[in-house]
Amino acid sequence: MDDGEKQNFGGGQEIETPNNITIKGIIGLLMGSTDRNDNRKVISLGIGDPTAHSCFHTTAVAQEAVVESLRSAKFNGYSPTAGLPQARKAIAEYLSRDLPYKLSQEDVYLTAGCTQAIEITLSILARPGANILLPRPGFPIYGLCAAFRHLEIRYFDLLPDKGWEVDLEDVEALVDQNTVAMVIINPGNPCGNVYTYQHLKKIAETARRLGVVVIADEVYGHLAFGANAFVPMGVFGSIAPIITLGSLSKRWLVPGWRLGWLVTNDPDGSLKSPKFVERLKKYCDICGGPATFIQGAVPTIIEQTHEAFFRKTINMLRQTSDICFEKIKEIPCLSCPYKPEGSMAVMVKLNLCLLKDISDDIDFCFKLAKEESVIILPGLAVGLKNWIRITFAVEPSSLEEGLERAK
Amino acid sequence: MDEESTMWNFEGDEHLNKASACTIRSFLTTLKENLNQNDDRPVIPLGHGDPSGFPSFRTSQVAEDAIVDAVRSGKFNSYSPSLGILDARRAIAEYLSQDHQYDTSPEDVFVTVGARQAIDVLITVLARRGANILLPRPGYPLYEARAVFSHLEVRHFDLLPEKAWEIDLNGLEALADDKTVAMVLINPGNPCGNVYTHKHLQKIAETAKKLGIMIISDEAYGYLAFGSTPFVPMARFGSIVPVFTIGSISKRWMVPGWRLGWILMSDPNGVVQKHKITECIKSYLDISSDVSTITQGALTQILKKTPESFHSKTLNMLREAADLCHARLKEIPCITYPCRPQGSMFLMVKLNLLLLKDINDDVEFCIKLAREESIVVLPGAAVGLKNWLRITFAVELSSLEDGLERIKAFTLRHAKTK
Repeated sequence: MDDGEKQNFGGGQEIETPNNITIKGIIGLLMGSTDRNDNRKVISLGIGDPTAHSCFHTTAVAQEAVVESLRSAKFNGYSPTAGLPQARKAIAEYLSRDLPYKLSQEDVYLTAGCTQAIEITLSILARPGANILLPRPGFPIYGLCAAFRHLEIRYFDLLPDKGWEVDLEDVEALVDQNTVAMVIINPGNPCGNVYTYQHLKKIAETARRLGVVVIADEVYGHLAFGANAFVPMGVFGSIAPIITLGSLSKRWLVPGWRLGWLVTNDPDGSLKSPKFVERLKKYCDICGGPATFIQGAVPTIIEQTHEAFFRKTINMLRQTSDICFEKIKEIPCLSCPYKPEGSMAVMVKLNLCLLKDISDDIDFCFKLAKEESVIILPGLAVGLKNWIRITFAVEPSSLEEGLERAK
Repeated sequence: MDEESTMWNFEGDEHLNKASACTIRSFLTTLKENLNQNDDRPVIPLGHGDPSGFPSFRTSQVAEDAIVDAVRSGKFNSYSPSLGILDARRAIAEYLSQDHQYDTSPEDVFVTVGARQAIDVLITVLARRGANILLPRPGYPLYEARAVFSHLEVRHFDLLPEKAWEIDLNGLEALADDKTVAMVLINPGNPCGNVYTHKHLQKIAETAKKLGIMIISDEAYGYLAFGSTPFVPMARFGSIVPVFTIGSISKRWMVPGWRLGWILMSDPNGVVQKHKITECIKSYLDISSDVSTITQGALTQILKKTPESFHSKTLNMLREAADLCHARLKEIPCITYPCRPQGSMFLMVKLNLLLLKDINDDVEFCIKLAREESIVVLPGAAVGLKNWLRITFAVELSSLEDGLERIKAFTLRHAKTK
């Protein structure tokens, strides 16, 4: 084809290719750096997906629920906007167990995983000139989605010396009349924090005073194994409007199934205005949601999963987080300010002065991958340079070995 | 708490309202609201695009078994790579290669959450300020909705009913300018039921090349051609002009709820690569949600092992239904029926309003039809052609027979007395 041909199309200006740092992307690059001649197996402590390890397997109840739903042949068609009513109802009831009020199924919108819930929420709130507050360190998809929807991003700090609590003074300084929302990730990714009731209440009160919505990312909801119990942000729904995001992915260990939800926790109504609800529904219409047959299985999955399954997962996470914390204490150039209380990851600081030929966190991780075949995520990916994020939701033996090699 | 105060800073995006005001779903919802609750007769749905609820249109046992196997194996619970699991991409590439003159590589295939997400990705990637896209009229309104939402200007070219709904290529050429990025064609056609000939598709490819635009070929109804014209995938013309094919298992396997579709990039000359389109597609897929891994895990089995007999049974059912429509609709005076459908699940008929006494347009026709005869038919306004109707014939044959009778009765009742 000769150059004289005219071509009208070029990549959309809307997508910035160069800065697309996703966790999967960096992990991919690190995997690519491992030494192929090294016979030892690669140990990945980098990604938030424990299902690669057989000790973290979903419950047969969930699997059979999907099989039954499929075989019924009743769920092969399009699902109604926002999801099958029985699935929405089941999730409303599930979440209401921990709230002082009852959610209605109308408050629940089913999404293809929490990722889509994030996408929808940010798209719905975006308007020209608006800005959103994101935690640092945080989950990079928020930054990418916000940028894509032309939302200005402002980062507030989480305080490592205070259990990674939100720096509320920082938040107050950042908010202006164009701020639409602030995002809280609890239990925390990447920090492993589980916020106290008091802290969450303060966040809600601050949000109310400043006039912003709280987006509560609770994808790791109930995965709290430390001293602090998990408190859903929705508890404070009458103080400030809350949009809760969640999914089956983490608690049920099925991130591939893509069943998430966006819930409006707003008993006093600002998020329930007919206009807002209509917009939300219309956006869901344009997007499409999760596979209908998986939605069909949701009521059974929620009602019949045994407590024992949840306890087993929590025990394993407690065990592996203990191993992780202890082993890190043995490594001089790593310091962990706060023992993780929940989720599946922990943030660890690098003391670069104690390392001779390593310049920063990215250098550390690439060399570690190359020399020891261990994959750990550089903190830059989540917003904190010269820290690293270690995922401990792996086989205990792999975790031990991985951290030995890091030593 | 004072809700009226301007204390809360958020507001939704007004654009959304404009964008989805006219989806097919919203028209169907209005019609359903007009159904007479007191009518004992069963409602006859001839307005939908989803026959999976009818027993005759149940998917293949092989497909169901494939999903069950995938779930029970426990091997498909993890996150999928953002472009799709490699085996799934490979399976799609092989499935699509059956008709192409060159082999399709899995690298050219992107798995999407149904054809819907494929449309979302392509429109998003092509959108930039000042650009425009050419869409068929009548067409599938989701394209308009997505384009509006992405600030992409929409220009419509006509499909010609007197020429089996072929594209008016002269009209199309007149619309294009140096800001036009792409054209969309839907083949087999929704809503018209057309299946374009090789010759016509070649002309389209050559026209697109001349204009310097790429082609988005929506083949959601691919292979659902039951007439005399065989289905020809547009990818065959990828060496003339870059083609992005949209497809899914939703229609051929009757499983729109499974949400599995794809984008196939056919660009052996590497034009699209040069313009960074592929990178943009990958970037967007990186931040969007993925297809459920269970369905991807089952895909190889679904695409390879579904017996031909399942597919021929589907085509026979559709052919019979289309024939029935042809026979009955000819008998109705105020309905003009330009050509027989050759594929997909739909046909378009024109209303002759002069022969009806108290009905002013297609929307009114459909609302009254719903109210008086408990039938749901889509007004042509929903797909861009006012005063036409879109009839879905993918229903149980007995229901279709009943429905067509009721339509006839309705038109007689509303006929202008001479």
